[in-house]
Amino acid sequence: VLYLIWAYIPETWLFSLGLTYWPQKYWAVALPVYLLVTVGIGYILLFGINMMSTAPLNSTDTITDNFARKQQQKKFQEEAIPALRDIPISEVNRMFFLPEK
Amino acid sequence: MAEERRFRSACGAPITLRRRQHSASCRELAVRGPRLQLRSLSAATSAVWLAAYGLFALSENSMVLSAAIFITLIGLIIYLHFVKIDQESLLVIGSLGIQVTSSYASGKESTIFIEMGQVKDVVINEAIHMQKVIYYLCILLQDPEDPQGISEVVPLFQSSKPRLDCLIEVYKSCQEILEQRKTAPQSN
Repeated sequence: VLYLIWAYIPETWLFSLGLTYWPQKYWAVALPVYLLVTVGIGYILLFGINMMSTAPLNSTDTITDNFARKQQQKKFQEEAIPALRDIPISEVNRMFFLPEK
Repeated sequence: MAEERRFRSACGAPITLRRRQHSASCRELAVRGPRLQLRSLSAATSAVWLAAYGLFALSENSMVLSAAIFITLIGLIIYLHFVKIDQESLLVIGSLGIQVTSSYASGKESTIFIEMGQVKDVVINEAIHMQKVIYYLCILLQDPEDPQGISEVVPLFQSSKPRLDCLIEVYKSCQEILEQRKTAPQSN
Protein backbone atom coordinates (compact mmCIF):
# COMPACT_ATOMS: atom_id res chain seq x y z
CA VAL A 1 0.00 0.00 0.00
CA LEU A 2 2.87 2.30 0.82
CA TYR A 3 4.38 1.40 -2.53
CA LEU A 4 1.21 2.47 -4.38
CA ILE A 5 0.93 5.72 -2.46
CA TRP A 6 4.55 6.56 -3.12
CA ALA A 7 4.23 5.70 -6.83
CA TYR A 8 1.15 7.78 -7.53
CA ILE A 9 1.46 10.98 -5.47
CA PRO A 10 3.52 13.58 -7.42
CA GLU A 11 6.86 14.65 -6.03
CA THR A 12 5.91 18.21 -5.20
CA TRP A 13 3.14 17.06 -2.85
CA LEU A 14 5.56 14.71 -1.05
CA PHE A 15 8.10 17.52 -0.69
CA SER A 16 5.45 19.78 0.77
CA LEU A 17 4.72 17.13 3.37
CA GLY A 18 8.40 17.11 4.31
CA LEU A 19 9.23 13.64 2.91
CA THR A 20 12.17 14.42 0.64
CA TYR A 21 14.48 11.43 0.89
CA TRP A 22 12.47 8.79 -1.03
CA PRO A 23 13.86 6.92 -4.03
CA GLN A 24 13.39 8.39 -7.50
CA LYS A 25 10.09 7.65 -9.23
CA TYR A 26 12.01 5.88 -11.97
CA TRP A 27 12.24 2.84 -9.72
CA ALA A 28 8.46 2.55 -9.44
CA VAL A 29 8.47 1.17 -12.98
CA ALA A 30 11.97 -0.33 -13.11
CA LEU A 31 11.57 -2.80 -10.24
CA PRO A 32 8.53 -4.64 -11.63
CA VAL A 33 10.24 -4.89 -15.00
CA TYR A 34 13.32 -6.36 -13.35
CA LEU A 35 11.16 -8.92 -11.55
CA LEU A 36 9.41 -10.04 -14.71
CA VAL A 37 12.65 -10.38 -16.66
CA THR A 38 14.07 -12.47 -13.80
CA VAL A 39 11.07 -14.77 -13.92
CA GLY A 40 11.47 -15.18 -17.67
CA ILE A 41 15.17 -15.94 -17.42
CA GLY A 42 14.43 -18.32 -14.57
CA TYR A 43 12.57 -20.59 -16.98
CA ILE A 44 15.54 -20.82 -19.32
CA LEU A 45 17.97 -21.18 -16.41
CA LEU A 46 15.98 -24.03 -14.90
CA PHE A 47 15.95 -25.84 -18.22
CA GLY A 48 19.71 -25.41 -18.51
CA ILE A 49 20.35 -26.61 -14.97
CA ASN A 50 18.24 -29.66 -15.65
CA MET A 51 20.22 -30.52 -18.74
CA MET A 52 23.52 -30.02 -16.99
CA SER A 53 22.70 -32.22 -14.03
CA THR A 54 21.56 -35.13 -16.19
CA ALA A 55 24.02 -37.95 -15.70
CA PRO A 56 26.36 -38.32 -18.72
CA LEU A 57 26.23 -41.52 -20.71
CA ASN A 58 29.41 -42.92 -19.15
CA SER A 59 28.52 -42.58 -15.48
CA THR A 60 27.49 -45.44 -13.23
CA ASP A 61 24.51 -43.40 -12.07
CA THR A 62 22.62 -44.60 -15.11
CA ILE A 63 22.95 -48.20 -13.95
CA THR A 64 22.77 -48.24 -10.18
CA ASP A 65 23.04 -46.04 -7.13
CA ASN A 66 23.91 -46.23 -3.44
CA PHE A 67 20.63 -47.70 -2.30
CA ALA A 68 20.68 -50.46 -4.88
CA ARG A 69 24.23 -51.46 -4.05
CA LYS A 70 23.52 -51.90 -0.36
CA GLN A 71 20.24 -53.76 -0.69
CA GLN A 72 19.85 -57.04 1.16
CA GLN A 73 18.49 -60.15 -0.45
CA LYS A 74 15.57 -61.76 1.34
CA LYS A 75 15.34 -65.52 1.34
CA PHE A 76 13.08 -67.06 -1.22
CA GLN A 77 9.85 -68.43 0.33
CA GLU A 78 7.57 -70.90 -1.38
CA GLU A 79 4.10 -69.70 -2.39
CA ALA A 80 4.88 -66.08 -1.50
CA ILE A 81 5.34 -63.09 -3.74
CA PRO A 82 9.07 -62.41 -4.04
CA ALA A 83 10.32 -59.36 -2.21
CA LEU A 84 10.76 -56.12 -4.11
CA ARG A 85 14.34 -55.47 -5.17
CA ASP A 86 16.37 -53.73 -7.83
CA ILE A 87 17.18 -56.27 -10.53
CA PRO A 88 20.70 -55.93 -11.95
CA ILE A 89 20.90 -54.68 -15.49
CA SER A 90 22.56 -57.83 -16.86
CA GLU A 91 19.59 -59.94 -15.83
CA VAL A 92 17.11 -57.48 -17.28
CA ASN A 93 18.97 -57.44 -20.57
CA ARG A 94 19.12 -61.19 -20.79
CA MET A 95 15.40 -61.42 -20.18
CA PHE A 96 14.53 -58.80 -22.76
CA PHE A 97 16.89 -59.43 -25.60
CA LEU A 98 18.18 -62.98 -25.50
CA PRO A 99 15.29 -65.43 -25.78
CA GLU A 100 14.92 -66.81 -29.28
CA LYS A 101 11.68 -65.78 -30.93
CA MET B 1 32.34 -65.27 -42.97
CA ALA B 2 31.11 -61.70 -43.31
CA GLU B 3 27.58 -60.37 -43.20
CA GLU B 4 26.31 -56.88 -43.84
CA ARG B 5 22.93 -55.39 -42.92
CA ARG B 6 21.40 -51.95 -43.18
CA PHE B 7 19.90 -50.13 -40.22
CA ARG B 8 19.05 -46.59 -39.15
CA SER B 9 20.73 -44.45 -36.55
CA ALA B 10 18.89 -42.61 -33.78
CA CYS B 11 18.70 -39.48 -35.98
CA GLY B 12 17.43 -41.39 -39.00
CA ALA B 13 20.66 -41.58 -41.01
CA PRO B 14 21.33 -44.92 -42.76
CA ILE B 15 24.10 -47.01 -41.22
CA THR B 16 25.39 -50.50 -42.00
CA LEU B 17 26.44 -53.20 -39.58
CA ARG B 18 29.12 -55.64 -40.73
CA ARG B 19 29.67 -58.84 -38.79
CA ARG B 20 32.70 -61.06 -39.27
CA GLN B 21 33.40 -64.24 -37.40
CA HIS B 22 37.10 -64.94 -37.32
CA SER B 23 36.87 -68.04 -35.15
CA ALA B 24 34.64 -69.64 -32.56
CA SER B 25 35.62 -67.16 -29.90
CA CYS B 26 36.51 -64.08 -31.93
CA ARG B 27 34.08 -61.73 -33.62
CA GLU B 28 34.31 -58.33 -35.21
CA LEU B 29 31.33 -55.99 -35.50
CA ALA B 30 31.69 -52.74 -37.44
CA VAL B 31 29.13 -49.94 -37.71
CA ARG B 32 29.72 -47.67 -40.64
CA GLY B 33 28.00 -44.29 -40.88
CA PRO B 34 27.17 -42.32 -44.01
CA ARG B 35 30.05 -40.63 -45.85
CA LEU B 36 30.43 -36.88 -46.06
CA GLN B 37 27.72 -35.75 -48.48
CA LEU B 38 28.64 -33.43 -51.35
CA ARG B 39 25.45 -31.41 -50.91
CA SER B 40 26.03 -30.63 -47.23
CA LEU B 41 29.64 -29.72 -47.95
CA SER B 42 28.66 -27.33 -50.76
CA ALA B 43 25.82 -25.90 -48.68
CA ALA B 44 28.20 -25.07 -45.82
CA THR B 45 30.83 -23.64 -48.15
CA SER B 46 28.33 -21.46 -50.01
CA ALA B 47 26.86 -20.19 -46.75
CA VAL B 48 30.26 -19.14 -45.45
CA TRP B 49 31.25 -17.54 -48.74
CA LEU B 50 27.96 -15.68 -49.12
CA ALA B 51 28.32 -14.31 -45.58
CA ALA B 52 31.89 -13.22 -46.37
CA TYR B 53 30.76 -11.58 -49.59
CA GLY B 54 28.04 -9.73 -47.69
CA LEU B 55 30.64 -8.50 -45.18
CA PHE B 56 32.90 -7.46 -48.06
CA ALA B 57 30.07 -5.51 -49.68
CA LEU B 58 29.48 -3.72 -46.38
CA SER B 59 33.06 -3.03 -45.40
CA GLU B 60 34.97 -2.87 -48.76
CA ASN B 61 37.83 -4.80 -47.15
CA SER B 62 39.14 -7.52 -49.45
CA MET B 63 40.84 -9.38 -46.61
CA VAL B 64 37.43 -10.70 -45.64
CA LEU B 65 37.24 -12.82 -48.78
CA SER B 66 40.64 -14.46 -48.33
CA ALA B 67 39.92 -14.97 -44.63
CA ALA B 68 36.71 -16.76 -45.60
CA ILE B 69 38.59 -19.10 -47.92
CA PHE B 70 41.12 -19.93 -45.20
CA ILE B 71 38.39 -20.51 -42.67
CA THR B 72 36.56 -22.86 -45.00
CA LEU B 73 39.66 -24.91 -45.77
CA ILE B 74 40.90 -25.15 -42.20
CA GLY B 75 37.40 -25.83 -40.90
CA LEU B 76 37.01 -28.69 -43.36
CA ILE B 77 40.32 -30.24 -42.36
CA ILE B 78 39.54 -29.97 -38.65
CA TYR B 79 36.10 -31.46 -39.18
CA LEU B 80 37.41 -34.44 -41.14
CA HIS B 81 40.22 -35.15 -38.72
CA PHE B 82 38.57 -34.63 -35.35
CA VAL B 83 34.81 -34.78 -35.73
CA LYS B 84 33.59 -36.99 -38.57
CA ILE B 85 33.71 -40.63 -37.57
CA ASP B 86 33.30 -43.03 -40.48
CA GLN B 87 33.35 -46.38 -38.82
CA GLU B 88 33.26 -47.71 -35.30
CA SER B 89 34.18 -51.31 -34.77
CA LEU B 90 34.15 -53.74 -31.89
CA LEU B 91 36.50 -56.72 -31.83
CA VAL B 92 35.62 -59.28 -29.18
CA ILE B 93 38.22 -61.97 -28.49
CA GLY B 94 36.89 -64.50 -26.02
CA SER B 95 39.86 -65.08 -23.79
CA LEU B 96 41.74 -61.86 -24.38
CA GLY B 97 39.57 -58.76 -24.31
CA ILE B 98 37.53 -56.26 -26.24
CA GLN B 99 38.96 -53.68 -28.62
CA VAL B 100 37.01 -50.61 -29.71
CA THR B 101 38.28 -48.59 -32.70
CA SER B 102 36.91 -45.41 -34.22
CA SER B 103 38.21 -44.41 -37.63
CA TYR B 104 37.81 -40.82 -38.71
CA ALA B 105 37.22 -39.57 -42.23
CA SER B 106 40.81 -38.36 -42.56
CA GLY B 107 42.14 -41.85 -41.87
CA LYS B 108 42.96 -41.38 -38.19
CA GLU B 109 42.10 -44.31 -35.96
CA SER B 110 41.81 -44.30 -32.23
CA THR B 111 41.64 -47.57 -30.27
CA ILE B 112 40.79 -48.63 -26.77
CA PHE B 113 41.52 -52.12 -25.50
CA ILE B 114 39.84 -53.58 -22.45
CA GLU B 115 41.17 -56.80 -20.96
CA MET B 116 38.65 -59.58 -20.42
CA GLY B 117 39.39 -59.74 -16.69
CA GLN B 118 38.02 -56.24 -16.29
CA VAL B 119 34.88 -56.78 -18.35
CA LYS B 120 31.84 -57.60 -16.27
CA ASP B 121 29.22 -57.53 -19.01
CA VAL B 122 28.12 -55.87 -22.23
CA VAL B 123 24.59 -54.49 -21.86
CA ILE B 124 22.09 -52.27 -23.62
CA ASN B 125 21.35 -49.34 -21.35
CA GLU B 126 18.89 -46.52 -21.85
CA ALA B 127 19.60 -42.98 -20.72
CA ILE B 128 18.51 -39.42 -21.27
CA HIS B 129 20.63 -37.66 -23.87
CA MET B 130 19.76 -34.15 -25.06
CA GLN B 131 15.97 -34.23 -24.65
CA LYS B 132 15.77 -37.81 -25.96
CA VAL B 133 15.91 -41.20 -24.33
CA ILE B 134 18.27 -43.39 -26.34
CA TYR B 135 19.38 -46.98 -26.15
CA TYR B 136 23.11 -47.45 -26.25
CA LEU B 137 25.46 -50.35 -25.86
CA CYS B 138 27.99 -50.17 -23.08
CA ILE B 139 30.67 -52.28 -21.45
CA LEU B 140 30.48 -52.60 -17.67
CA LEU B 141 33.87 -52.78 -15.99
CA GLN B 142 34.32 -54.75 -12.83
CA ASP B 143 35.20 -53.21 -9.51
CA PRO B 144 38.33 -54.93 -8.16
CA GLU B 145 37.14 -54.81 -4.53
CA ASP B 146 33.50 -55.70 -4.96
CA PRO B 147 32.69 -58.56 -7.36
CA GLN B 148 29.08 -57.42 -7.73
CA GLY B 149 29.90 -53.77 -8.20
CA ILE B 150 30.49 -51.77 -11.34
CA SER B 151 33.43 -49.44 -11.42
CA GLU B 152 33.01 -47.83 -14.82
CA VAL B 153 30.70 -47.68 -17.80
CA VAL B 154 32.20 -47.42 -21.30
CA PRO B 155 29.59 -46.40 -23.87
CA LEU B 156 30.08 -47.76 -27.41
CA PHE B 157 29.05 -46.46 -30.83
CA GLN B 158 28.74 -42.93 -29.60
CA SER B 159 28.77 -41.04 -32.86
CA SER B 160 26.76 -43.39 -35.04
CA LYS B 161 24.05 -44.04 -32.52
CA PRO B 162 22.35 -47.18 -33.82
CA ARG B 163 18.75 -47.96 -32.99
CA LEU B 164 17.54 -50.84 -30.87
CA ASP B 165 17.31 -53.43 -33.68
CA CYS B 166 20.97 -53.00 -34.57
CA LEU B 167 21.95 -52.97 -30.91
CA ILE B 168 20.14 -56.25 -30.27
CA GLU B 169 22.16 -57.91 -33.03
CA VAL B 170 25.43 -56.66 -31.59
CA TYR B 171 24.31 -57.63 -28.08
CA LYS B 172 23.48 -61.18 -29.08
CA SER B 173 26.82 -61.62 -30.82
CA CYS B 174 28.73 -60.32 -27.82
CA GLN B 175 26.78 -62.44 -25.34
CA GLU B 176 27.51 -65.61 -27.31
CA ILE B 177 31.20 -65.01 -26.80
CA LEU B 178 30.94 -63.77 -23.23
CA GLU B 179 29.02 -66.88 -22.20
CA GLN B 180 31.91 -69.03 -23.26
CA ARG B 181 34.13 -67.63 -20.59
CA LYS B 182 31.71 -68.79 -17.90
CA THR B 183 31.41 -72.36 -19.18
CA ALA B 184 35.13 -72.78 -19.76
CA PRO B 185 36.90 -70.87 -16.99
CA GLN B 186 40.61 -70.53 -17.53
CA SER B 187 43.13 -69.33 -15.00
CA ASN B 188 44.29 -65.85 -16.04
